[in-house]
Amino acid sequence: MTTTIYPSLASAISHSVHTAVAPLTWNPVEHLLARTTFGATPGDRAYVGRYGPDAFYKLQVGRGANYSTYRGNRYVNALCPLLAMNPYDVRQWLIRNGNEYGWEAMDQLTNATLGLQTWSIAQLYEVLVDFFSNHLNVPNHNGDLWNTRHTHDRDVVRRFAMGSYTNMLLASAKNPAMLLYLNLAESNKTAINENYGRELLELHTVGLRYTENDVKNAARLLSGRTLDDNFRYVYDEYIHATGKVTVLGFTDANLRAEDGERAGDNMIRYLAAHPFTATRLAQKLCTRLVSDTPSAGLVNAVAHAYLANRTQILPMVSTILRSAEFWQSRGRKVRRPAENVVATVRTTGVGVSNLPDALDTLHWVTAQMGNTPLEWPTPDGYPDVASAWRSAGTLLRTWEMHLGIAGGWWNGLRAANIAALYGGVPANSGDAIVRLGRTLTGTTLSSTHRSVLQTFLGEPARTPMSRSILQWWDSLLAATILDGPHHALR
Amino acid sequence: MTPTNDLDTALRLRAEQVRADLCAQDAAWGTSGWTRRRFLAGIGMAGVAALGSQLVTSRAAYAAVPSGTERTLLVVFLRGAADGLRILAPNNSALGLDFLKTVRGDLVPADSDLIALPGATGWGLNKKLQPLFDALWASGEMAFVPAVSSPGVSRSHFQAQAFLERGGTDRATSGWLERVLELLGPGTTFRAVTEGWSTPDSLIGMQPSLTLGSLDDFQFPGWDGMRAQAQKAVLDLYRGVGGPLGTDVPVTISALGTAAQIRATANTATYPGGSFSDALKDFAKILKADVGLQVATVDVGGWDTHTNEVNELDGLLDDTAAALRAFMDDLGPARRSRVTVAVMTEFGRRVYMNDSAGADHGHGGLIWLLGGGLASSGVLGKWNGLSAATLDNGDVAGLNSPFDVLGELVQKRLGVGALSTVFPGHTVAPIGVATTA
Repeated sequence: MTTTIYPSLASAISHSVHTAVAPLTWNPVEHLLARTTFGATPGDRAYVGRYGPDAFYKLQVGRGANYSTYRGNRYVNALCPLLAMNPYDVRQWLIRNGNEYGWEAMDQLTNATLGLQTWSIAQLYEVLVDFFSNHLNVPNHNGDLWNTRHTHDRDVVRRFAMGSYTNMLLASAKNPAMLLYLNLAESNKTAINENYGRELLELHTVGLRYTENDVKNAARLLSGRTLDDNFRYVYDEYIHATGKVTVLGFTDANLRAEDGERAGDNMIRYLAAHPFTATRLAQKLCTRLVSDTPSAGLVNAVAHAYLANRTQILPMVSTILRSAEFWQSRGRKVRRPAENVVATVRTTGVGVSNLPDALDTLHWVTAQMGNTPLEWPTPDGYPDVASAWRSAGTLLRTWEMHLGIAGGWWNGLRAANIAALYGGVPANSGDAIVRLGRTLTGTTLSSTHRSVLQTFLGEPARTPMSRSILQWWDSLLAATILDGPHHALR
Repeated sequence: MTPTNDLDTALRLRAEQVRADLCAQDAAWGTSGWTRRRFLAGIGMAGVAALGSQLVTSRAAYAAVPSGTERTLLVVFLRGAADGLRILAPNNSALGLDFLKTVRGDLVPADSDLIALPGATGWGLNKKLQPLFDALWASGEMAFVPAVSSPGVSRSHFQAQAFLERGGTDRATSGWLERVLELLGPGTTFRAVTEGWSTPDSLIGMQPSLTLGSLDDFQFPGWDGMRAQAQKAVLDLYRGVGGPLGTDVPVTISALGTAAQIRATANTATYPGGSFSDALKDFAKILKADVGLQVATVDVGGWDTHTNEVNELDGLLDDTAAALRAFMDDLGPARRSRVTVAVMTEFGRRVYMNDSAGADHGHGGLIWLLGGGLASSGVLGKWNGLSAATLDNGDVAGLNSPFDVLGELVQKRLGVGALSTVFPGHTVAPIGVATTA
């Protein structure tokens, strides 16, 4: 089965069947923004409407390059100075501030992640950062990673999120946080710790296509990768296990301990460029951007783009966006809880009264839903399919969050400016529903949904605004629209 | 607000609840269309409810009234691969102690850290489980099956968990407990409950189940003057929507009333605190409220002890035992005779200690069974004395199938008949852990 990849996004749109999962309707602008950003804003809608989807993609790729690491929003960046430091300096800073093992650097990382997902101008970059943070998951707020965790975000994921996966993986295999988390730092030739070696194969590269012998060999070849007293990566040949290793189709005689690091890098290059790795990454990226069940044809095309471009990440993204399957998948993803939170802030455009407080609010609201970025406790990362997120309790928390954000209940965030969301003065209650629905969902609500919302307000559509319950219930109406399927699906 | 308004609000909320239940039924059973007749029926039942009649949930109304004699299986999943060899330790030569001492270093518990188990010669129970032993062993409510695994379980956490929870297959799109629910037929909205952030693989599928963070949080947001209208609006916005939300939204709203009733039920034991303890506390309330709970699941994380295992594992056991003891005390002997707890994990850990005073991924693991419905206290199933010759690639071999244990429990305790759809490809051969009485 082959999937046609068109020369441009516009071309793929023109070859697509106009379809969507009900009650969402065909709408390429909304679809592109729902998948390549953390939530549509009026500005982005206007940009795509005016310049087209290809220009938006190009813009976002450029911004990913120009506003990389934490530069996508300067106010957020300014609140997170520890993220620029190395582990030694973080430790010195913590000592000076009276708590050597404090969590400040990990807290700043959570804040930066949530702040940039919500307010960075480099949205596609943030989507990819989120994807690879989960792919190479190292849980934040892990007691052992108090001064190193941010280096995996900064020097591994953010550095290469729009670059080469091989380089990302090579960096990860020498990163202090990863080495501590998966115990590679303490592995040595007399007692190999297999934790990292196994997850390198199973999660970071080829998937469940390895043997127990592959794990043991990979773990042996990687022994010697450890940290010095200042939490800097070092290769210590004295603890490296020599002797021939074979991992899938990779072989190295591994005769001399001083060559062990280079041999390990060669194995990682081999694994990153393995066809199994290509297929797995393609499957996962299609699951993120297209649907929970992408077609084998699309996955193959994306895997091919990865291999043909020497493990570059962006060609995979571009291939997905140039398929008809992508454009025909509107509504086929359910937003995960944290995505719903961030999209709610972006779509309502609520203002910030105090940025540190706002970031704390986003942190605890997502924590209540078990979905704070970077907190998944095991190395496989947050699941990305709707079936894994089914929860009655989380639905209730999500609906509460819509009320809280629209109503300005929580520290740091202002109430939604409903007058601005109307985009003009509504003629009456029914018109207000139409206008609010259009801003919050990007589409015109069906007559059925309008009538449900009219019943919610308990007044006829023709009710003038001066006598409408909307004088008090405008943020409730906004929250109820956000509770509905248009905002829950993407 | 006047009493009349209160009554009015209560009536409208109740009517919404009933309607939600009917929508939930439609969604779950694939019947199409919500009808005006059903809406009117809902209003009618709301009146009955307001008169104090026992209308718990819709499912109670139309399908299964909780009998007050339901039996319940609570599955506790220890995520990360708990080291069975340090929880239930082989502690004599015949079971393999001499060999363990040569390869396991400090991970082998000292005699002073073990409880001798009457009737189970040679086995030593980690002293951290003393609270459970004291309450349950003498009354025949505590059993263990060691060397548990199955062909098809690898040494990958993720594959092994998914394989076990899908009932012995990597391919099934539903979980084994979900298929048990299917065989059990209609039940109440609260017949299957998970406490946690998301539905576990074992309950994935078409059968509705409830996943909630906590009972306290399980409330529709907002305030009295708008809740009823908002619930109705949300339900109506999802009418006709497919996918998981099309089922979950009506099921969620239909469960709100019962949740309020359950919240009003009192706990009568002191719990130690922590998320596992909080979950058990909620489960005790749900059980005491008799709302038809048949299957419950909860996870405990942190068992992946690649490093510093003695401290990490023993600390976890301490917390886990204290929470389970409070739960057992809270239920009391009569109620817990209807409740069986199965504590499982994805696999055991390697017999050899690694260089970080921990153990890497292994194979044969340990199942603990607690509470009612057990044949007797004891250590059941096969065991080969450990030696270099009896290990499976350095690990405890998988001599007892987890599906034999779980299958026996659902057959004898929940009354499920044939299990070929629950554990495809595996014929359940009971090893005598449970009774039907």
